[in-house]
Amino acid sequence: MNKFEKYVLDILDDPVSLGAVVVGMIIILGMVIFASSYWFYFRLMFLNLRRNIIRTALTSVASIVLVFVVTLVWTILWFLNLVTSEKAKDFKAIVTERWQIPSQMPYAYEASLAEGSPANEGDYKIDKNKDAMTWQFYGATIDPEKKTRDNIIFFFCMEPMKMTKMMDGMEEYSATQIADLEKLCDEMVKDKRKIIVGKERLEAINKKIGERIKLTSLNFKGIDLEVEIIGSFPEGRYNQSAILNRDYLNDSMDAYNRQNPNSRHPMTNKSLNLVWIRVPDKEVFQKVENQITSSASFTTPAVKVETASSGISTFLDAYRDLLWGLRFILAPFILATMALIIAVAISISVRERRKEIAVMKVLGFTPAQVLFLVLGEAIMIGAFSGLFSSFGTTMFINNVVGGIKFPIAFFPVFLIPLDAIWWGPAIGIGTALAGSFLPSLSACRVKVSEVFARIS
Amino acid sequence: MDEVISVRVESLTKSFNRGSEKIEVLEELTLNVVSGEFLALMGPSGSGKTTLLNIIAGLDIPSSGSVTVGKNIISSMSETKLASWRTRHVGFVFQFYHLLPVLTAYENVELPLLLLPMTKAQRKIQVMNVLDLVGLTSRIKHLPGQLSGGQQQRVGIARAIVTDPDLIVADEPTGDLDSKSADEILELMTILQKTLGKTIIMVTHDPRAASKAQRILHLEKGKLVKDSRNFSYVSGNVAN
Repeated sequence: MNKFEKYVLDILDDPVSLGAVVVGMIIILGMVIFASSYWFYFRLMFLNLRRNIIRTALTSVASIVLVFVVTLVWTILWFLNLVTSEKAKDFKAIVTERWQIPSQMPYAYEASLAEGSPANEGDYKIDKNKDAMTWQFYGATIDPEKKTRDNIIFFFCMEPMKMTKMMDGMEEYSATQIADLEKLCDEMVKDKRKIIVGKERLEAINKKIGERIKLTSLNFKGIDLEVEIIGSFPEGRYNQSAILNRDYLNDSMDAYNRQNPNSRHPMTNKSLNLVWIRVPDKEVFQKVENQITSSASFTTPAVKVETASSGISTFLDAYRDLLWGLRFILAPFILATMALIIAVAISISVRERRKEIAVMKVLGFTPAQVLFLVLGEAIMIGAFSGLFSSFGTTMFINNVVGGIKFPIAFFPVFLIPLDAIWWGPAIGIGTALAGSFLPSLSACRVKVSEVFARIS
Repeated sequence: MDEVISVRVESLTKSFNRGSEKIEVLEELTLNVVSGEFLALMGPSGSGKTTLLNIIAGLDIPSSGSVTVGKNIISSMSETKLASWRTRHVGFVFQFYHLLPVLTAYENVELPLLLLPMTKAQRKIQVMNVLDLVGLTSRIKHLPGQLSGGQQQRVGIARAIVTDPDLIVADEPTGDLDSKSADEILELMTILQKTLGKTIIMVTHDPRAASKAQRILHLEKGKLVKDSRNFSYVSGNVAN
């Protein structure tokens, strides 16, 4: 399935996106029909906008900038909303330590947790080869003498072959990109010293694919590893991430413990951070949750099971005020500013053209037709600026900048969804209608006799 | 021959309030205009000429009384109905032309036709006919700013007659023109009345313009003070 087919299927799956596309199509179709049937009106609107090019251009630029900002803000909110929305089917759950953040569980938990801890006949057993993934976090520096942000790498230690099957965000990649990643994972299985590092992290540590590096651990003191960089992730949310075969970490820890039988590594019983499991539906989730939480095997420390969305929501609680501000202050404020800018431009234009509007009414144009003309001008500015901005923003941010760099929770970068191309015209038309409503009303209420009395 | 009344004004009153003061612009005015007549409205500033013209043309609403144009009692029509009625039955000629500056001469003339159920081809025939009548076929692609005052007024007249209205109202149509252009415009209006049988009501301060009309009404303080036949008009035309 290529990217376009996937995009179409995604839209068909999501009622909001589907609605947005249908509304967008209706608007475009309406504009085409309108432009062809009422070419004169369309042309008159265009000519009226063109008569003061500077004003129209400034209004458009202001709208473009504001749609740009709204698109960025909404992308972050949209994504966080997506990952915190409960899914009904085929969703992931996270098993973590119940009472402590960060979660640090004994690695011995892994075998049973990855299967959902089935203990009795009739219990649900997860296929751990397909529907479970463990995460161990390994932070290290390549320069132990001078630890800086730029020489630190943070690894997700896992089974390499689970990466493309279980990690979030893989759906953003094309089939070719996934196939390339799977080849890399295969190499990682064959040689546990091989690693994948995100592009930006590679740039930060000033290393290239093919180079070997020595890692001095920050959280697993004494467990220092030598690795070879064999590849990178496609552009996107894993630009700052790195993947290490968990076997390398665990084998190294075992080796450490063998060499130091009297002082086992302090992380020995704390090396498992998360277990991801995939369940088919809520009923199974509740069953598995019950199996795990009621098991006597997981009491020291105790564990909890959450849906991934719930887990992420809990994590995002720390950013609650910031997100609230983005959602309810910044975005509405920008939209109101856009509406005001359009309102001012259209008001001035209407005031300048009162005489012409009066003449049109004399010639037989009804108040509704005048209203339509003025609203149409505002909609033309809003729709054009909005579409230009959202399309340009999406292409520029995703393809040139590589996403919105706004590290929040464990999301370092946000790619603008293709849906955002509809946001621009929708925002533009919405704010244009809101902003031009009163000026349009004032235009259609122009009293011909008063206008001409003033002129004479 | 029986005269057909084109415009019938009965007991027309128009007043408005300025603060606590009530100002009577027109007082109990009664008037008939015969179909095909060229009527000039004269009087000092503030006498109510333009207000009377606006009410006859359906641009203003009387305080009391009635105005009938053709078979339509326009004083009781809604704004939307009046708009539709104006398109079909009234042509306007303004002192300052009031052409839309972003449209060409052709498009300005075509403007009222866009409100009627006509095809593009039908509109083109009609627009070219009236532009030919006013002698501007060579200027159809010019914007108003590229035309002289006289030419702009001729476009204005073409726009006024393009829907083939029964009634043409003109508010100081020569007020902004030099004497040569003014003569050309008045000549054109005379042709409209005589050749096409249009009823013309023209507000003017200019006695020379008024002399082209068949009948001259004098207003003062909202009242009709003099209604005179212009005999020179008749004899002049006989002589012609």
